[in-house]
Amino acid sequence: MIWKIAAKEFLLNLMTFKFVVGTVLCVVLVVIFVPVLAEDYRQRLQQYDERVADIEAKLRQVKAYRVLTPTVYRRPQVLSVFSQGMEKRLGDSARIDFGVIPQIDARPAEVNPYLSIFPAFDVLLIFKIVMSALALLVAYDVVSREKEQGTLSLMLAHPIPRGHVLLGKLAAGSLTLAVPATIAFIAGLLLLSSSRSVVLTGADWVRILMMYIASLLFVLSMYNIGLLFSCLTRSSALALVLGLFFWVLAVAVVPDGSAYLARRLQPAETVEGRDEQIAALEKQFDKDLTAGFEALPGGGWEHDAGGPFDPYGPIGGAFSYYPMLCTPAGFTHWIQRGQMEAGLRMKYADKFRDAGRQYSDSQIRQATVARRIGMISPTCLYDGAMTALAGTDLADFESWAQAAATFRETVIAYIRNKTDNLSSVSCYTQSTEEERIAFEKASEEERRTLAKTVERHTVPLNLEDLPRFAYPTDAGRSLRRAGTDLMLLVVFNVLFFGLSFAAFQKYDVR
Amino acid sequence: MFYRIVRKEILENLLSLRFTLSLLLTISLFAAAAFVFVDDHREQLNDYWHRTNTNVAGFREQASQLHKVVFYEQHVYSRPKLLALCAEGFEQSLPRHFVFTGFAIDLPRLAGQSNFALPRFACLDWSFIISLIFSFIAFVFTYDSICGERERGTLRLILTGSVPRATVLLGKYAGLMLTLGIPLLLGLLVSLIIVSVSQVDAFHAGTWVRVLSLVALSFIYLSIFVLLGLFVSARASRPANCMAALLFLWVTLVILIPSLGRIAADRLSHGAPPTDLAKAMNQAAERVDNDTDKYGKGAGNRSPNPKECNPPARARYSNARTEAVNEVVESYHNRMLAQAFAGRALTRVSPAVVYRTASEALAGTGMQRCISLFRQVRQYQVQLRDYVVGEDRGDPDSLHLLFDEAHSVEEWNAISKKAVNFDAVPKFEERDFTLGESLRLAVWDLGLLVLFNLVFFAAAFASFLTYDVR
Repeated sequence: MIWKIAAKEFLLNLMTFKFVVGTVLCVVLVVIFVPVLAEDYRQRLQQYDERVADIEAKLRQVKAYRVLTPTVYRRPQVLSVFSQGMEKRLGDSARIDFGVIPQIDARPAEVNPYLSIFPAFDVLLIFKIVMSALALLVAYDVVSREKEQGTLSLMLAHPIPRGHVLLGKLAAGSLTLAVPATIAFIAGLLLLSSSRSVVLTGADWVRILMMYIASLLFVLSMYNIGLLFSCLTRSSALALVLGLFFWVLAVAVVPDGSAYLARRLQPAETVEGRDEQIAALEKQFDKDLTAGFEALPGGGWEHDAGGPFDPYGPIGGAFSYYPMLCTPAGFTHWIQRGQMEAGLRMKYADKFRDAGRQYSDSQIRQATVARRIGMISPTCLYDGAMTALAGTDLADFESWAQAAATFRETVIAYIRNKTDNLSSVSCYTQSTEEERIAFEKASEEERRTLAKTVERHTVPLNLEDLPRFAYPTDAGRSLRRAGTDLMLLVVFNVLFFGLSFAAFQKYDVR
Repeated sequence: MFYRIVRKEILENLLSLRFTLSLLLTISLFAAAAFVFVDDHREQLNDYWHRTNTNVAGFREQASQLHKVVFYEQHVYSRPKLLALCAEGFEQSLPRHFVFTGFAIDLPRLAGQSNFALPRFACLDWSFIISLIFSFIAFVFTYDSICGERERGTLRLILTGSVPRATVLLGKYAGLMLTLGIPLLLGLLVSLIIVSVSQVDAFHAGTWVRVLSLVALSFIYLSIFVLLGLFVSARASRPANCMAALLFLWVTLVILIPSLGRIAADRLSHGAPPTDLAKAMNQAAERVDNDTDKYGKGAGNRSPNPKECNPPARARYSNARTEAVNEVVESYHNRMLAQAFAGRALTRVSPAVVYRTASEALAGTGMQRCISLFRQVRQYQVQLRDYVVGEDRGDPDSLHLLFDEAHSVEEWNAISKKAVNFDAVPKFEERDFTLGESLRLAVWDLGLLVLFNLVFFAAAFASFLTYDVR
């Protein structure tokens, strides 16, 4: 009997105006905007590829380990088409250096700050607004309409348990809402996979499947809320008004309101405070560095290292200079200052990281409070689950920064290994011992000639064995992060269906 | 008869559950927005005065020598505005920190980043509540106003009398507008009372005029949704279908179209990365450097002794170099703004975007204020230079040459080193838009809102005249 009721309801729903309008709107929006969003992803991917190729080209020009300071980039997530999340909002690059530990970067990746007036547009927005409205419109009169038409009392005159009637309606609602969701997903995926540069891996398909399940759970939770209002009221008009007010609260007020409220409940540290702390640390670092130089045997900043410098190395940066040729004494000095500087930079890197972390942790705590408040709305839960599954949530950026920090350790270990803990010649120069002795004794004119000879035979280092940075997409990681939100969506469904069930048991069908 | 219909509509609406819910929702939102605004505004004012005083204190120290005044790097911030209560204009996420000397200017910077970990959220100001919630409520009130009466059979009864259809439609429109006006005016009143009692900032006569014009603008905006609701109601056969159509219309007009701005901005105009700016600045400087003789013989040379070089030529060259770089910064800034405006222009199909833009113009906030501030800083630079030149005339030891090279100006005594009275030195003071300027900025948006009204009124009127009441 449940299936008979479900089939009847399902067919009735398919023929309604609201179903047609909602489905058409959802599918049309997906068909129009998925190619646009895919093109946006293609451009970002192209930019990422160019940046990676550029850094690879620069690595091929590195002639001394002292200037081996590559930059790593975060690859844009293909599923950002579905949920943009924090992409475009957080920094997506990290410099690998002795003096910096990569961490989540509050610096906006946005090139044009004036564009921050526009909200993000993605498939998630279409789903959470249009599909939720459709779910509510399908559900609000499920019970009250039958009561108004008198068919409910006829149905219950038969020996059918009320629970079966409600289960049949739930099944019908699920099937009805699965139709636009499935069509929109298939259309979106067909358009996405036919787009240039888009390659979907096995892990991506698993995440897409979970996104589909999350979408169904979300629309079903909105349906169950509509069902509850329908079971609680005696007229469809009343159920509609209550449902609409709940919907506007869930979709428009709670997501913004939770962030607003979190700012009051959990004040966060200011960026100015962090900047002041960092500026003080930088000042202290400069002081310690100068003291370190002064303490070196035979000289401070102005030690006669001689020879031509490569002022910035191929990659650049304030301290990336190195001597191509110098006197033997100068060379010893370079080794000493290099070791001293590296030690000091490593020490201060921890301090800078702590200052940055203190600030970012306070911001993340505030965001966590906002998320917890938002959990009263299925929209926020769906948002959280989709963003985690797309790999564009804050946690994914944190885990990328962690991977970059681990990569930094690997690069430092590699440099130390190759340069005998920064004491080898290759760390600073490719000049030979004879050339350095000759350089010391040579006149100004001969020094210039010698320098040119060294410059000619100074060749790029072979860095083929340098480990490359990788941050692979991990479906398991995304699923774990989305788990709580998905579970809560299930709880929402069970809770609201349970309440509807209880209300329907006592429903006066006259 | 018209007044009877209006009265009936109002009474019917006032007694409905939707009115009670609307009233509760909107008043609590307005009150919450006002309380949060008071706290935020107080904090922002403290920050603003702290930063401004720090800047002025640093500036004061420069008054010991005239030439230093023009080379001081000033940090100016936009002042928190009371009317941000009505339309905040996303100012928290817009660049509103200006760093400049008497010559050079940087791109405006962000002042105090908002929490990077929080999702982007709209400020809970009047324009948010009215554009989003009131437009929705307008549809909730209108969806059954014509087709509902038809379904109940009362429409036929009304029209059997000698009442023209136009009177019925106008009566319903007036009744709905008056009903919506109650929660709107009550909400605004609650909000204003909370803010004025808190005494967080002073309300001037000009502020009240702007508040009143914003209220009028809100009614024009709401009228669009009432007319659109009446139009769809006059086309629909059943209220349920009408609500479905209106709900999807609302979603499209108020949420989806305004969200397209970013995509439109990216597609219509490509932003240049900051590296392009640095490159363009270097190129502009190089162009001047490559043609130094144009400014006089020896303009490219600089020596601590002015007699060894040509100071007037050097001054012309240096100022031309700074101006060339400033022009690059200005054009880059204009390109950024043009990209954002292009995105916004396309989303003006939505009355919600038009209303928010017009509200920002009337409140004197938003992107237009950023443009105005940048312009005011440029004007102030000229004013400061003119003042220094004027004061310098009285010093016979000075070379009377003002140019953007602090070292040379000091070494050559190109500008007087005498102390000046700091009170006489011009200070930067932000000038708000006058009401006339605000109206000029809002005039196109106002026109568009009126046009929307006319179109939907005509559509509702035509539909209702041909409506089959059986």
